[in-house]
Amino acid sequence: MLSVKPRTRLALTAYAFLLPGLALFATFMIYPLLKALQMSLYEWSIFPGRESSYVGLANYAQAFRDPIVTLAFRNTLLYMAITVPGQMVLAMIAALLLNSIVRGRVFFRGLYYLPVITSWVIVSLLFKYLFEWPNGLINYLLVNVFHLIAEPVQWLYQPSTALVAIMALGIWKGIGWSMVICLAALQTIPPQLYEVASIDGANAWHRFWKITLPLLRPTVVFTLVMLVIGAFNVFISVALITGGRPQHKTEVVLTYMYHQAFDFLDFGYGAALSYLLAGLILVLSFLQLKVLRRPQELY
Amino acid sequence: MKSYKLIVVLLIVSFVLALTGCAPKVVKETVVVEKQVEKIVKETVVVEKPVEKPVEKIITATPEPKGPVTITFWSAYSPNEIDVLENSVIPAFEAAHPDIKVEHVAVPYDEFRRKLVTAIAGGTVADLIRADIIWVPEFADMGALAVLDESMPDFDTYAEAVFPGPLSTNFYNGHYYGLPLDTNCRVLTYNKAMFAEAGIDAPPKTIDEFLAACEKIKTLGEGKYGFADGGTYAWAVNPWIWSFGGDVTDPGITKTSGYYNGANTVTAYEFLKKLLDDGYMHPGIVVGGLDSWGGFGKGEIAMILEGPWFPPIFEGMYPEVEYGLALMPAGKGGPISVVGGEDIVLTQQSSHKEAAAEFIRWMLSPETQLSMAETGQMPVLSELLDTEYMKTHPFYGIFLEQLKTARARTPHPAWPKMEDIMTSTGGAILSGERAVQEALDEAADQMDGLLAAQ
Repeated sequence: MLSVKPRTRLALTAYAFLLPGLALFATFMIYPLLKALQMSLYEWSIFPGRESSYVGLANYAQAFRDPIVTLAFRNTLLYMAITVPGQMVLAMIAALLLNSIVRGRVFFRGLYYLPVITSWVIVSLLFKYLFEWPNGLINYLLVNVFHLIAEPVQWLYQPSTALVAIMALGIWKGIGWSMVICLAALQTIPPQLYEVASIDGANAWHRFWKITLPLLRPTVVFTLVMLVIGAFNVFISVALITGGRPQHKTEVVLTYMYHQAFDFLDFGYGAALSYLLAGLILVLSFLQLKVLRRPQELY
Repeated sequence: MKSYKLIVVLLIVSFVLALTGCAPKVVKETVVVEKQVEKIVKETVVVEKPVEKPVEKIITATPEPKGPVTITFWSAYSPNEIDVLENSVIPAFEAAHPDIKVEHVAVPYDEFRRKLVTAIAGGTVADLIRADIIWVPEFADMGALAVLDESMPDFDTYAEAVFPGPLSTNFYNGHYYGLPLDTNCRVLTYNKAMFAEAGIDAPPKTIDEFLAACEKIKTLGEGKYGFADGGTYAWAVNPWIWSFGGDVTDPGITKTSGYYNGANTVTAYEFLKKLLDDGYMHPGIVVGGLDSWGGFGKGEIAMILEGPWFPPIFEGMYPEVEYGLALMPAGKGGPISVVGGEDIVLTQQSSHKEAAAEFIRWMLSPETQLSMAETGQMPVLSELLDTEYMKTHPFYGIFLEQLKTARARTPHPAWPKMEDIMTSTGGAILSGERAVQEALDEAADQMDGLLAAQ
């Protein structure tokens, strides 16, 4: 009989249970990641069996010279800078409001969460129709109902206004997610703290700044990190609403990567672009956690 | 001990419950099994049929049939074309070739190329593809296509039977990679009611007459446009470049400098810019989202450039709107339009090349070409030119006339990138962001780089 130490045996059992999950993770996450890294160093030929030539860091060098890459990174950063605070502030307001009502909380929570679970494809197409020129609903409201402007705006065909539509979609669709997390965190704050503060004469404003916000800090940091990562990965809405038009001016990193790979068959360059984006996300997330995370102060 | 007993009892009870709970299911499953047995019996009957057929096969002298093979055929046919293909062309083929089944998959044109790219990379591409003529050099360059003039023994017979222009779109690096399936070009399509209202009695023959017609249409009032097109891509812009005497590359496709930024091309872009600025052309060419058929049908747009698929579909949408077809307005370079169309190509990854080649032959038979012609798929067989059908056809005549001078977009693997540059450049020029000459100089420089890299 083969003798196995009980401890090793336990470990082996654990690995046996981990194996299926690990295998899936390796096949669908690790392998594609490494494959993409390899591709980014080659002039990659997609036809199976065709030689791909090793080009070193040429794809990365090309990215730094490409003016559209600069523009795409700028648009992505802008999208992040506007949609992340937008989602967080609106989600916080919604969560505070929902936390203060008793009747209908579940109903409204569901309602706010609805955009989160609807498909990006469907809401992107919906927003495209809303912002259509000259006869979209937004133009109709602005021109014919509220008479705010005289001429319909070509929302989706000018880079700045097209990004407005894309960001509006991003914020609207994202509020529910941050709100649910905020709401859950709000409900963990012990009500005694507010009672004590009230006795001490703190008004609602003080209570929010001195109790609610500090106690929500870990939640806020978590949502911030997640939303920043999400914002960098914006793709479907841009691909469907403008596709980078006009003249690649509304391109974000991932849509440009997609064009390079699937329209121009430059898979090596596309892979290099996604690695650059991944690098940026990694650095930013690390910095965020480093700077923002503090040990829990209370209790 | 008592609690131990209790657990045992509970376990037994739960087992019993589970069993009784399962019991009806078991019965159901046996029913299912019986049905499957029935099915299998039916299937064996089906299997017997092909056993009889190989005898026929031997008579028709087609080699090695081992049971029915299924070939896949991907296309971006539109619904009325799919209807004819799937309900008459393919059933007729399958009836004549009982050992071959054809599975047709229709993919929307906008997603088709990406689907092909992913499928080729994944090794799951179809046996046959109805490819836009402009994709063939790129896919051939990639190694995705079978060299048809080598893998199809009677290729020459078919190559001689089709129009030389569309055939040439299959030629890349010394070999033919496909055969033409249908051909088309754009012709000037005008709204007769708008022309009558504006007092224009004949379609414009020259670019000057075209401008004059636009001017008259403008007097019809606000929201009336002489001309419209969907964007600044080559399909829209090249007819003007060529008609003005300009070009995108030199004849040998080695450089764009001196051609795409040449004087005549500059004039063509300036002309388009003027059309837009004077309100003759619908702004949709820059801002996109243009419904040109809707505008044309509603009497808002007087002239568009359209292909032979237009009459059958448009007449279904706006049966009471009268329109006329005429040649592209002529400039210094003549009345030059752009050639479109599709080639049928056999993929390198196909494991049924024989059967697939048989379907290519079927698609190029006069019968199939004529039944697809009903949907606006213009035939490519020279022999059909003399038939009563083509001679008396309501609109193929004008397209055949236009095809004599129509030209193809640059057949080069780098074309998608080149066209992307052209589209951006055209957009920047028409929106007034950039001066014509300067923008074209820069674009020509970039495209030179692409051509040199190959």
